[in-house]
Amino acid sequence: MLNKSVLKNLRSIVGEKNTIFEKEKLAAFNIDNVLPEIVLSPNNIEEVSEIMKLASKESLSVIPWGSGTKSALGNKPDRADIVISTKYLDHMIEHGASDLVATTECGISLKKFQEALNKENQFLALDPPHVGKNATIGGIVATNDSGPERLRYGTAREFLIGLKVVRADGSIFKGGSKVVKNVAGYDLPKLYVGSLGTLGIIVEATFRLYPVPEYSETYVASFSSLKDCQETVLTLLDSHLVLTSLEILNPELNSSLSERNDLYVNDSQFSLVIGIRNVGKAVKEQISSVKKICVQNSGKGALISGAQEGKLWEDIRDFPWKLIKAQRVLCKAGVLVTQIPKALQTIKQLSDENSVKIYVSVRAGNGICTIAIEGEDLSIKNTLKHLRNFMLSIGGYLVLQEAPSEIKNGFDVWGDIGSGLGIMKRVKANYDPDNLLNPGRYI
Amino acid sequence: MATQHKTKSSSWKNKFRERLIEIIGKDGVISSEDELLAYDCDALTGYRIKPIFVVLPSNAKQVSQIIKECYLENIPFVPRGAGTGLSGGALPTDEGIVISLSRMNKILDVDIPNQRVVVEPGVVNLWVTNAVSPYGYYYAPDPSSQIVCTIGGNVAENSGGVHCLKYGVTTNHVLGVEMVLPDGEIIEIGGKTLDRPGYDLTGLVVGSEGLLGIVTKVTLKIIKKPEAVKTLFASYDNVEDAGASVSGITARGVIPAGMEIMDSFCIKSVEETIGAGYPIDAGAILLVELDGPSAEVEAQLPIVEEVLKENKAIQIKIAKNAKERDLLWKGRKSAFPAMGRISSDYYVQDGVIPRSKLAEVLGEIAELSKKYGLRVANVFHAGDGNLHPLVLYDASKEGDLDKTLELAGEILKVCVDKGGSITGEHGVGHDKKRFLSLMFDDNDLDAMNLIRCAFDNKGLCNPGKLFPTPRTCVEPGMKPFKEHPVQKAGMGEMY
Repeated sequence: MLNKSVLKNLRSIVGEKNTIFEKEKLAAFNIDNVLPEIVLSPNNIEEVSEIMKLASKESLSVIPWGSGTKSALGNKPDRADIVISTKYLDHMIEHGASDLVATTECGISLKKFQEALNKENQFLALDPPHVGKNATIGGIVATNDSGPERLRYGTAREFLIGLKVVRADGSIFKGGSKVVKNVAGYDLPKLYVGSLGTLGIIVEATFRLYPVPEYSETYVASFSSLKDCQETVLTLLDSHLVLTSLEILNPELNSSLSERNDLYVNDSQFSLVIGIRNVGKAVKEQISSVKKICVQNSGKGALISGAQEGKLWEDIRDFPWKLIKAQRVLCKAGVLVTQIPKALQTIKQLSDENSVKIYVSVRAGNGICTIAIEGEDLSIKNTLKHLRNFMLSIGGYLVLQEAPSEIKNGFDVWGDIGSGLGIMKRVKANYDPDNLLNPGRYI
Repeated sequence: MATQHKTKSSSWKNKFRERLIEIIGKDGVISSEDELLAYDCDALTGYRIKPIFVVLPSNAKQVSQIIKECYLENIPFVPRGAGTGLSGGALPTDEGIVISLSRMNKILDVDIPNQRVVVEPGVVNLWVTNAVSPYGYYYAPDPSSQIVCTIGGNVAENSGGVHCLKYGVTTNHVLGVEMVLPDGEIIEIGGKTLDRPGYDLTGLVVGSEGLLGIVTKVTLKIIKKPEAVKTLFASYDNVEDAGASVSGITARGVIPAGMEIMDSFCIKSVEETIGAGYPIDAGAILLVELDGPSAEVEAQLPIVEEVLKENKAIQIKIAKNAKERDLLWKGRKSAFPAMGRISSDYYVQDGVIPRSKLAEVLGEIAELSKKYGLRVANVFHAGDGNLHPLVLYDASKEGDLDKTLELAGEILKVCVDKGGSITGEHGVGHDKKRFLSLMFDDNDLDAMNLIRCAFDNKGLCNPGKLFPTPRTCVEPGMKPFKEHPVQKAGMGEMY
C-alpha cells in the first residue's frame, strides 16, 4: 500500500479530477489480475516528469497506459503502484505538410492523428488493429504494432524519426530529430519502438508521412491447395508489382470473414487477400496482373473496392477481437516467407490433435502470423508449447500476445530472446536502475 | 572516456604484438611504421593519428579474442572498413589499435525467395547488388562511394545515397547483425525474420559509428528492381525555383526515388571536366528519378513535368534510355571530383534541413560565403533536405583551412536553426562532435551515454568520437556525470 502522504503528493501533481483511486474504477486498469493503487492522468509532459521524479524517489512502480488496447501484452507485472494514463497528452503539435512530417503528443489516438493529417491529404502509414478503440500513438510505438500495409510501408521504426521521453528518474530527453534524414548521435527512436514502456514514457513523437494514395482495390482469391496459394505468393513477391498488402487467411478465418463480408469465395479454402493503393491507372493495371497470376495458379476470386474493401481490411486487422469475445488466446509468430506453408500445415495438425480451433492470418510478404486459438485451457496450453517449439525449429519465434492468466502462468510470453538479452538487460538497468517501469513484463 | 592511455613501452608493445600474432597469425598484424601510415586517417584527411598496430582478423572468433586482449590491457580499438568515411569515424586513437575488417569479405548467403542476403562486414556495398542482380534484385542504399565502401562501414555510419528519399537509408535495410561487444562477447541480434522479441538493438547499432562494438555479420534486405525508371532533368535561373519544384513534387503526392540539385558553380565545374550536357549558364539544375510499376511512373511523369514548368524550369529533358540516364547521373556523381579540378582543396559539409526551407538556407549560405570570402558550391539530395555544401579553399594559404572550418560550422548552425540536423549521412565521428550539442542538450546526451556505457563501460571502443565532451560511465543508480565548470569554460579537460 502506498502511504497517505505519497498518495497525496501524487494527487496534487495532476489534480483531483485527473486521479482515480476508487477500487471499482481501478478494475478497468487490471493487468493479469494485478491492480494499480492509483491512476494518474497528467495534463502535460512536465507533470509526467514530476510523477516519475516522485515515483523514483519512493521506488514506486509505474505502468504507462495509452488506451489499454494492448495491456494484455507481456508477462504478469511484478508490481503496479501507479498507472500513468496519457489520455490528456493528446495534442497534435505540428504538421509540416510540405516536409511530410508531423509531431504529436503520444496520447493522441491514431484515428484523431490521421484525421488531422488527412486534411492535407497525408497519412501515417501504420494500419494496426484497435484503431476503432482509439489505440494511441504511444501505445502503437511502444508495442511496435502494425498491420497488413507494412508490406508496402514498413513498421513504426521506419517512420519514427524523433521522440521525447520521460525517463524513470523524471528527466526528459529527446532523440532523433524532425527531419527525415539524420544520423547525428545514436538512433534512440528505434530503441523505443517495441520497448513496451520499460525504458521510459514516450510523450512526443515525430513521424515521416506519406501522401494518401489516390485509389485502392483489393482482389480476394481462394485456393484449393496451400501449394497453389504459396506459388501465387512467391510469384507475386518476385514480380514488379508493388503490393500494399498481401494476406493469407487460413480456412477457419476465411470462412468467418467471407460470411461477414459477403465475399462469395470458396470459404473452405485458403484465401489470399491482395490490396493495392496507388494512382488509379497503376491500381487497375496491377490488379489485372494480380488476377492473372492467381488464375494461373488455379485461384478463383473477386475484386472489391470502396466500403466493402475497407471493412474487409478492418476485419483482417481486428479479427481476433471481433471473432473471439472471451478467453481470447492470441499469438504473433514470425517465420521466413518460404516457411509459411509448413507453418500453416503444422498449425492445422496441432489444431486437429488438440481439438482447438485456430484462426490464422499471415502477412505473406513478411512472414508475420497472427494466430488466435479457441478451446479448452489444457488443449490450448499444449498447442502453444508445440507451436513455439515448431517456430523455433524453423528459425522463427512465437510471442503470446494475449491470454487469460491461467494460460499465461508458467509460459514465458516472449520465449527465448537470444544472445542479445544480456545487453538488453544492461540497457534497461542503465535507463531504469530501480526497475520501476513495467517491472517483470518484458526486459 | 575516463580510461587513461599512457604511452606503452616498446617491450610491452612487442609482447602485445606477440599475443595478437598468436590469435591471427603473423600476416594479420601490421606493425611496420610505413604500412601503418596507410591507416592513419580515413577520407577526412585533415586529422591523422598513427595506431600502434593494425590487425586483420578473418572471423568473429578472432575479433572477439583480439577485443578480449584489448579489454584486459585497456587498449582502445577502432574498427575500420574501407576508410571512405568523411567524418573521421575510423580515425585511430592515440596508443590504440585499428581492427580492419577487410579480410572478412565473404557473402555468406543469398536467399532470393526470402529476399535476404547475409554478408561479412568487409563486403563492398556494390557486391551485394552484383550478387543479386541476375535475379532482378538490388540492395537499395547507394552511397556515392559504393564501389569501394563496405557494408560494415555503412552499418556504422547508417549510410544513405541518392535513392533514399523513397527507399530509406541503411537502417531500413538491415535486419540483424552478429557483433562482438567491447568486452569480447559475441551476440546475435535481429535476424532474417521480422519483429523478433527483445529491444531493437539492430536499430541502435546501425548508425552508432563503431562505438558499440564490431559487427561481424549483417543480414540485409534486398528489393526487386523497379519495372520502370524515368529520369527528368530541369534547368533553372536560380536555385530557389529548383527548390520550390522539389517541394511542389511531394506536395502533389509523388515520392520520387531521388531528387538532386546542383547550383551554377557545380554545373560549371562538372561541365568543364566531364561534359554531362548540362546548360553551362544555368543557375541550377534538378534531377528527378521516378521508379516503380510502369503504370505508376507513366501517371507520375506528367504531374512532375507540370510542377517543373509551374516553377519556371527553363529546359526539361527526359532521358530516353539508360545511356542518357547514365549521362545525367554521371554529372551529379562527378560533382565532388570536379571540384578537385577547380580548387586544390575542398571541404564537404553534410547538413539537413526541412525540405521547405531550402531557398532561405541557400540564401544564408551565399551570405556566409561572401562574409568569409570563400567559394561554396552546393549539391544536395534535395528530396530529403540533405545539403552537401563544398567549401573551396587553398591549404597552402595560411589560415584558409581554419576559415573554411569556421564557415562550414556556421552552415551547420543554420541547419539546426531551421530545425534540421548536423549530419544526414556522413556521421558525427571526430569531425562534428563539437556540434552535437547544437542539437542535443545534456539530458539528451546523457541518454545516449547510458547506451554507450551499457555496451562499453571501459570506453575502449572507438573512443573520442561522437560525444562532444568526455563522459564517464557510472554504476546504475549513481548520479550521471556532469561537466565540471572548469571544463565547460574550456579551461581544462577531464582525464
